[in-house]
Amino acid sequence: MTITELMTVILLVVGCFFFLAGTLGVLRFPDLFSRLHALTKADNLGLGFIAAGMALHIASPWAALKIFFIWFFTLLASSTSCYLIARFQRGQDQAGKRKEGA
Amino acid sequence: MSVLIDIILAILAVYLAIQCLLAPRLPQTMFLFFAFGLALALAWVRLGAVDVAIAEAAIAAGFLGVLMIDALRDFSHALNKRQGNPTDNQKTLSGNGTKLPWLPGVALGLGLGLFLLIALEAIWKMPDGGGLTVLAGEMLPVSGVGNPVTAVLLNYRGYDTWLEIGVILMALLAIVATGGTEVYRRPGMAARDPLLRQVILFFTPILFLFGAFLLYAGKAAPGGAFQAAVLWGAMGILLHLGGWPVFAVIPRWLRQLILALGLGAFLLMGFLFMAGGGALFEYPPAHAGVLILIVETLAAISIAAALTAIYTLFNQMNEEPDQADSTN
Amino acid sequence: MYMNHFFILVIVFLLLNIALGLFRVWRGPTVADRLLTTQLFGTTGMAILLVLAGYLKDLTLLNIAITFNVLAILLVIALVQVRKNKKGETP
Repeated sequence: MTITELMTVILLVVGCFFFLAGTLGVLRFPDLFSRLHALTKADNLGLGFIAAGMALHIASPWAALKIFFIWFFTLLASSTSCYLIARFQRGQDQAGKRKEGA
Repeated sequence: MSVLIDIILAILAVYLAIQCLLAPRLPQTMFLFFAFGLALALAWVRLGAVDVAIAEAAIAAGFLGVLMIDALRDFSHALNKRQGNPTDNQKTLSGNGTKLPWLPGVALGLGLGLFLLIALEAIWKMPDGGGLTVLAGEMLPVSGVGNPVTAVLLNYRGYDTWLEIGVILMALLAIVATGGTEVYRRPGMAARDPLLRQVILFFTPILFLFGAFLLYAGKAAPGGAFQAAVLWGAMGILLHLGGWPVFAVIPRWLRQLILALGLGAFLLMGFLFMAGGGALFEYPPAHAGVLILIVETLAAISIAAALTAIYTLFNQMNEEPDQADSTN
Repeated sequence: MYMNHFFILVIVFLLLNIALGLFRVWRGPTVADRLLTTQLFGTTGMAILLVLAGYLKDLTLLNIAITFNVLAILLVIALVQVRKNKKGETP
């Protein structure tokens, strides 16, 4: 097994580990916000490792550039949706408190 | 060993489809449908149909999900009005008080049975050598493009594609006919959240460029007019959600012109071919590539405009007047 | 050719992750919980597509990944903007 293949395997395995961590976080954490936090961070990190591994495997510079852009846009999109979901949930919580507190 | 992926995908897709129908709460079906769209897109990739996979991902996972969010909102709103129970807005799909409760089940069963019969017959009677695939490949250099899917859609079966553009416009007309025109009441209502504004402004050019890329890549690679149209439509929907209803504030004649552009230009070109001595939609082989490109571009613009209009009209149809200026 | 087997294992693993994430669609007490599963599906789906692109040696699959990415965020934005207009109703 060449060094490239070894690196690819290592990167993919690390990526899978982070994906598993994210999924476990979604399943087991007690609160929406902690789930959101775990999912966004772990999954995007896992995606980054898998993207790096695949960019290494597909040894074409255009593909690597494209994969980098995919990862970059995913970071933007994920962090935005994390923020939006959290803010939405906070709004719902506050509205609920207002209804029962008033 | 790769059959393992296919088995899991198949189980996942069927499971998700069944759960979409049987989920006890309607908000669940929305997200299950999104996952179902993902599973289907992967299935199309495994079947080797990347064009369909892109279209599936864009439409099922994107556009339909967004439409369903609005359908969900309207449905619960109507239920609240009818039953007067403000906290109980998660109902199942069983109607309240239909006269023939067995009718949907029977219709569904008949439809499924018919579909299964047709599918089995198609598989049974599949000709050896892949049917028309060889012929389509042989005529490819004459058709003007390099991607067989695009050749089939735009050249060999251009008439069907032209009619499909018409079908989308008809869907838009249906929504307009059910009371969607008295809208656009709040054109200046921008999203107050600065992050949301920036993100929408950031993604708009990306969507535009990527749509254009898919459109012109459709010549020799998977892509094409429809995929580009869904991405451009998503751009329009994002802008509308962010508070810049660009498609709404342009004058009405311009809106109608853009919507009719794809259908009309395609038909006009077909007639011009007839005037030049060919059949309807029969491209002259020398210029077929350029003409297909023009048609695809105009069609993509039209379909994108139609999708944006469908969403924005649907979005604003069931709003109560006092919710028109919500804060935050 | 062992690489191909490895890729298949990775894809199967990611698919199982998606299947596990479905639990949250069932259980999640609020709509926001179900909404975050779309993020799970979107990111995991993109990872699957990336690995498939290497396995099938078909670079056009990367286009699907971009499409999916953009439309997942469209879904979130649409739901958040639309639900905002319901004045404080619990989802």
